[in-house]
Amino acid sequence: MATAAGAAHPWATSPSGKSTAGRQSTDDPRITLDRQVGAGLYEPIPPYPTRTEREGEFYSLGDGEMFLNVGPHHPATHGVLRLVLKLSGEQIVDVDPVLGYLHRGVEKICENSDYYHVIDQVDPLEYISSLFQEWAAVLSFEKLMDVRVPRRAEYIRVLSGELLRVASHTLYMGFLALDLGGLTPILYGFIERDEIVEMLAALTGARMLFNYYRIGGVNGDLNHEFMSRLGDWMSRAARQTEASAGLLNENEIFVRRTRGVGKMDRETALRFGVTGGNLRAAGVPFDVRRAHPYSVYPELEFNIPTRQEGDSLARYLIRVDEVRESIKIIDQCLHGMPDGPIMARLPRLLRPRPGRAWGACEGPRGMMGVYSISDGSDQPFRFRIHDPSFVNLQTVPTLLPGNLLADTMAIVASLDPVMGGIDK
Amino acid sequence: MRASMTSVLAFARDLPAGVMARLSIQERIAIIFTVLAIGGAATTVIAIVWLGPPLTDFLGANQPLVRFVVAATAILMLTVPTAFVLIYLELKVIARMNLRVGPNRVGPWGSAMSVIHGLKVLSKEDFAPTGADFTVFTLAPVVTYMASVMTLLVIPFAPGLIGQDLNIGLLYFFAMSGLTVVGLLMAGWSSFNKYSLLGGLRSAAQMISYEVPLTLSVVGVILLAGTMSLNSIVLAQSGSFLDWFVFKQPLAWLIFFIAATAEANRTPLDMTEADSEIVAGFATEYSGMRFGFFFFAEYVNVFIVSALATTLFFGGWTAPFQWPWTYNLNWFQPLSFGFFGWLGILLAGLLLGSYFFGLLARLVGGRTWGLWPSVTMGLLVDLVVMVGLIGLAGFVAFNWVQGLVWFMAKTYFFVIVFVWMRATLPRVRVDQLMSFAWKWLLPASLLNLFVTATAVVLLNR
Amino acid sequence: MDRSLKARLEARLGSQLRGSVYQRGDETEIRVDPGSVPEVLTVLHDSVDLHFEILADLAGVDTGEVMQVVYHLWSPMTSDWLRVIADGISREDPRTPSATFIWTGAEWLEREAYDMFGIVFEGNRDLRRIFMPPDYTSFPLRKDFLLPDDAARSPGAGVRHVERAHVPADLADDPAAGIRRAPVS
Repeated sequence: MATAAGAAHPWATSPSGKSTAGRQSTDDPRITLDRQVGAGLYEPIPPYPTRTEREGEFYSLGDGEMFLNVGPHHPATHGVLRLVLKLSGEQIVDVDPVLGYLHRGVEKICENSDYYHVIDQVDPLEYISSLFQEWAAVLSFEKLMDVRVPRRAEYIRVLSGELLRVASHTLYMGFLALDLGGLTPILYGFIERDEIVEMLAALTGARMLFNYYRIGGVNGDLNHEFMSRLGDWMSRAARQTEASAGLLNENEIFVRRTRGVGKMDRETALRFGVTGGNLRAAGVPFDVRRAHPYSVYPELEFNIPTRQEGDSLARYLIRVDEVRESIKIIDQCLHGMPDGPIMARLPRLLRPRPGRAWGACEGPRGMMGVYSISDGSDQPFRFRIHDPSFVNLQTVPTLLPGNLLADTMAIVASLDPVMGGIDK
Repeated sequence: MRASMTSVLAFARDLPAGVMARLSIQERIAIIFTVLAIGGAATTVIAIVWLGPPLTDFLGANQPLVRFVVAATAILMLTVPTAFVLIYLELKVIARMNLRVGPNRVGPWGSAMSVIHGLKVLSKEDFAPTGADFTVFTLAPVVTYMASVMTLLVIPFAPGLIGQDLNIGLLYFFAMSGLTVVGLLMAGWSSFNKYSLLGGLRSAAQMISYEVPLTLSVVGVILLAGTMSLNSIVLAQSGSFLDWFVFKQPLAWLIFFIAATAEANRTPLDMTEADSEIVAGFATEYSGMRFGFFFFAEYVNVFIVSALATTLFFGGWTAPFQWPWTYNLNWFQPLSFGFFGWLGILLAGLLLGSYFFGLLARLVGGRTWGLWPSVTMGLLVDLVVMVGLIGLAGFVAFNWVQGLVWFMAKTYFFVIVFVWMRATLPRVRVDQLMSFAWKWLLPASLLNLFVTATAVVLLNR
Repeated sequence: MDRSLKARLEARLGSQLRGSVYQRGDETEIRVDPGSVPEVLTVLHDSVDLHFEILADLAGVDTGEVMQVVYHLWSPMTSDWLRVIADGISREDPRTPSATFIWTGAEWLEREAYDMFGIVFEGNRDLRRIFMPPDYTSFPLRKDFLLPDDAARSPGAGVRHVERAHVPADLADDPAAGIRRAPVS
């Protein structure tokens, strides 16, 4: 539409005087379009010359192989993930995951935000379990500022964190079943998650991106509604967990689809830096809550479920066990909740001393870590987020080849990736 | 005089265009409609008067042909409402099993949902993807749909209600249902899309593999009934429900049920349209009415395999038990009432019944109901009651109504079992599916066949 | 704070450490030259008394003067986190050896550091951009990254008023641009 006189569209002229005429994406020689279809083979992957050794190896087709783009728009990739599969019939020969569709530049934004705002910015990383990113961030900042968190705040942090872990694992089970074709477990999972999330909404004010932890404590104390909902839920939690888990554990089709599929052995898991349930399913009992305890976890009694098989079924069963352990921890927190303040006394303007700090916590998917560098001002100089799904997803090119296309979903879903965290 | 004639002629010549230009759209449509209606009525009257007698003579002389054409048309027209009912049933039942509500806005309890889906599908843009083979792309859903619908010709819905009682009915059935594979392959190939190709090839592999145990498992039934005519198979199961073939061929029934699930592409054996892996399989590039055809074909397929299961193993239209008391209905001759008799009964039923039920509604509602709400409620309840009474009367009086009711009840029972399986079970992987068919179902059906044949020979000595 | 760790590190790596081992809270920090990173990491991973088997993180840092690559490691032998800072990578041509020969999982972490900072990891078989589009020409997390300059090259250049502001493309003359108050080491 003609707006300014003489200008075809508002952005026809740019300040640097470069003309945007002829700069349509359709003029880009690297992008093949429909009009070239009749001109021969139409293979839009990749549209540019290969740059690295691995890329060259992947994008050369052998005999009888084809590329299939399990693209960013797909009902079953967990978010916007693009997997370029090299298939020979139905068997996967190689995988190239392409990330970045959800990249929001959180690290850069946090460099321009003050320390309170960082906690809000870091929530949407693993949006399903957002308290754990906040926890890693505040752990790192509390080390920078030498802040001692009151015990009651620590207990509340553990309580809310473990509740959210249960909610996240419940959703994981639902998604795994959905990707395998069962329509019902996810809806049951959402019912359970809804109960927990309503509870946390009564506590924190939000249902999904909580913005609850603060440097030195938490934002609000326990209130009556939260405690009554929690009491209701606890009285049913164990039985409900067993029921929902039984929906899938004993389902012959589910077990046959996941047993022996996507086996990750101990050495592979350690080499890739995989953490969380995936590592424990491979036989390494590494849990940040026990390996490098933080908060009040040294005082709480819970086990670290570990399995040896390393296949998708083991990863699923580990999460079921972890839900049981979390319920135990919540019970202990409720019984041992101390009185006291919920926030340490801090100045309003936070200016930590220049320095560096690394804080890590155990999220539902693995170790969530934050490395922050302070330069003495009120904004972090460098805010590095280490996301567990990022390294977990890296194992996909190793686990997938040799399996069938149908197993792609079983394996990727069993690793529990959340694209928000992967793409930051 | 001449000038006025010329001007009148000019006026008359310009009248239509001039007049039409001055009218609004609605008025123009009304005029065109009226003209067409009058013209159509006139043509019809002329046709009846002029062509009527020769036509009736021709039809009277070729009664089987007339019967066939009417039956085929009726079956074709009834597939769409069946698909509508099945789609609604699936949405509602799966929702209830998922602890959700399902559609509940359009129509009472959401029952008009299927109609809205149908209209939506008709109103979408009609396009084919670039590079697709347009002819094959358009014909594929037609082939699939027609193959499914043609099988309905031989299903006995009630005593006397069968499209065509072929004496190779069962063979015809399997031949027609095998044609759906052609349609799916056409769809998968012509879509110019790797997902569609994978889906089409998977579907071809799956359906061909499962046709073998399907056909072998019913050979036992053929041996027991001695014929391939479906009507005779149903008649061979008349009597009490213990005569049903499911009790004489339990293994065949199990194999048939599993193979039928695969033939109908239902979960857990729906690799064809595994929508968490290959988006929508062969139907990825389809939208609008083409996709509507595939959609309807799938649900008609579910109905068909349920109908076949009922016919072959559960006695078709035979009742499971006979009414223990004899009754004499010779006094009830509905056809003797005549046209005005029936009209009087209907009017009386509507008016008196509405009044009665309206009063009842007011009583029950504690006299807070006004005039028109109670009249409306009375009318609705009365309609339901009258339809129920008529249905009951028909059921009691007419043989074919009884048969139809029992047939539909059994068929819909199996339809709901299919929907139940879809809500509950995850999907079987494609290679597990294929190995199950070839390594387990095929030997089992062969075993069943041998045992049945041996038993038939021994028992007939 | 694990004092014995400091002693063990100095014993194993003495000559390759730049400066002393710095310990604060539950973290131990060592600085090394980029060139000695493979040796140091091998020693840390393979020696029996150190046994840092889990690579917790691999991050790039732009201090404004130099670039750093920071490794965080965990070992069952000590209660501290170990931070290895490969310090002194030049900002004009950042190159450092890759850690993928020990930990395959470092591949994507190094890709991210390359994408965000431009640090080239020699030995990484797959060093291409991971988040930004493959034809992107800037490195976003560098301290001299300027969004309007980058946006001027995009097809949507000049749409929003922020990008219309005339910002000089070459900021090498301005020492204050992008550099923070306290020097970060």
